[in-house]
Amino acid sequence: MPVITIEGLTKRFGAVVAVDGLSFEVDKGTVTGFLGPNGAGKTTTLRMLLGLVAPTAGTARIDGRPYRELAEPVRHVGAALEASSFHPGRTARNHLRVIATAAGLPLSRADEVLTQVGLAEAASRRVGGFSLGMRQRLGLATALLGDPAVLVLDEPANGLDPEGIHWLRGFLRHLADQGRTVLVSSHGLAEVAQTVDQVVIIAKGRLVTQSTLADLTARTDRLVRVRTPQAAALQPLLADQGIHAELTAADRLTAVDTTAEAVGRAAAGAGVVIHEMTTEHSNLEEVFLELTANQGGRS
Amino acid sequence: MTRLVRAELAKLRTTRLVYGVAAAMAAFAILTVVANVTAAGDQGNPPLSADSLVPLVGGPVTLLAGAALLLGILGMAGEFRHQTITQTFLATPNRGWVVAAKLVVLPLAGVAVTLTTLAVTTAVAVGWLTAKGVTPSLLDANLGRVLAGALLAAAMFALLGVGVGALFRNQVAALVGTLVWVVVVEGLVVSLLNAPSLTKWLPSAAAAAITNPGGAHLSQWGGVLVAAVYGLVLALVGTRFVVRRDIT
Repeated sequence: MPVITIEGLTKRFGAVVAVDGLSFEVDKGTVTGFLGPNGAGKTTTLRMLLGLVAPTAGTARIDGRPYRELAEPVRHVGAALEASSFHPGRTARNHLRVIATAAGLPLSRADEVLTQVGLAEAASRRVGGFSLGMRQRLGLATALLGDPAVLVLDEPANGLDPEGIHWLRGFLRHLADQGRTVLVSSHGLAEVAQTVDQVVIIAKGRLVTQSTLADLTARTDRLVRVRTPQAAALQPLLADQGIHAELTAADRLTAVDTTAEAVGRAAAGAGVVIHEMTTEHSNLEEVFLELTANQGGRS
Repeated sequence: MTRLVRAELAKLRTTRLVYGVAAAMAAFAILTVVANVTAAGDQGNPPLSADSLVPLVGGPVTLLAGAALLLGILGMAGEFRHQTITQTFLATPNRGWVVAAKLVVLPLAGVAVTLTTLAVTTAVAVGWLTAKGVTPSLLDANLGRVLAGALLAAAMFALLGVGVGALFRNQVAALVGTLVWVVVVEGLVVSLLNAPSLTKWLPSAAAAAITNPGGAHLSQWGGVLVAAVYGLVLALVGTRFVVRRDIT
């Protein structure tokens, strides 16, 4: 049963179409990576989902209702957007207390969530002196304030050092283990690959693919790199077999979405000499880059 | 709404803005008292007497109104400046309620700053006058009128500030817009029309009537009412057309 439903969501800023007829769903209890290159429309989509930006067309709903119509939004949905939306002169604890007050939550929640994100010692410090990583943690603490079942996190890995990213992975996993539904955006797959069950990939405001991480991983083992003096001749032979291959050098080509056996058979049949052949376990990041780069439909 | 009012109060308590403005106002007010007392009796200035208290206390009233206006503008537009408006609207998606809470709380802040400043000024002025052998009366009816006018003005100017802040969203634009209106536009309209019976209804003139009623101005309560209407209309228009825009 979907918790988040995006249907035909479109946003135009003047002549720029930031989000273009986007539809996808996020199921209850899953961690979904919302991925795309910078400028793909992720933040605009999330802001429409949270009622901060009005869609030009389409709807974004949480448990069947637009965010603005949720009775107690902070208890229902926790959101962490960009890391700069704090008053620099306010302490971390007071930042949280202000929101807790507006949401009718006990003020003690402020210290509880600060402890959860490892910021308890910085509670009395002004946010103006915080590092980007600390701001990200404070953003996560803000999202957790109402103990919500749904979390919407925009690029929480931005500005984190490797240790911070490691911490974030564990933290997201922990949230998922508690049965929360998490939608987490990222411009790279690596930060979230170990955490997400589902991926929604967008580019230029459009959906590229929605699949499980497992399905996406299955697409990675199918790159075959071939070194042959007859690379230019092998390419059309492979194409006849329905195998797409690209010349990467005069004597090298890379066959996509196939197996070494299939390439070997095609080469042997035509008497093409092969000097070297490797099955590439291309990493997820490459698949991601390929998927988003090929989205050149609209100029 | 109670929650929102409390949240707005918490916002003001947890940054240095209000304390800073209050401290600056108190310091300025004390300086005015010092300057006026030391200048008394010189170069045609009237010597100190029991009647000196009211002008001493009333000296910084106009500036206090300006400070209240500033608090209103910064309280509203400052949330956009620091992007805290994102969290505010996430917690309270109904933006009209947020503006309404600010219309309640920022006038209170303006009154609090004014009250503090006037209390400090009065204490210093009374103390000094007494030391100089003059016995001022705190029961002076004029003193009561000045204090009441100052408090009402602070509330109304803060209300106007929230309205302006909602209309511009950008705090620099709101400040510049206010200055341009007060210094250029309204002055121009006044001199072009040359009709005090009409121009006394303009915002600055109406607001000025609160501390300086009668004559060419409206009555004190007339000024309060007209300023309140301007503030609320600005806030309403701002909420309807500006505050509801996308938060990106």
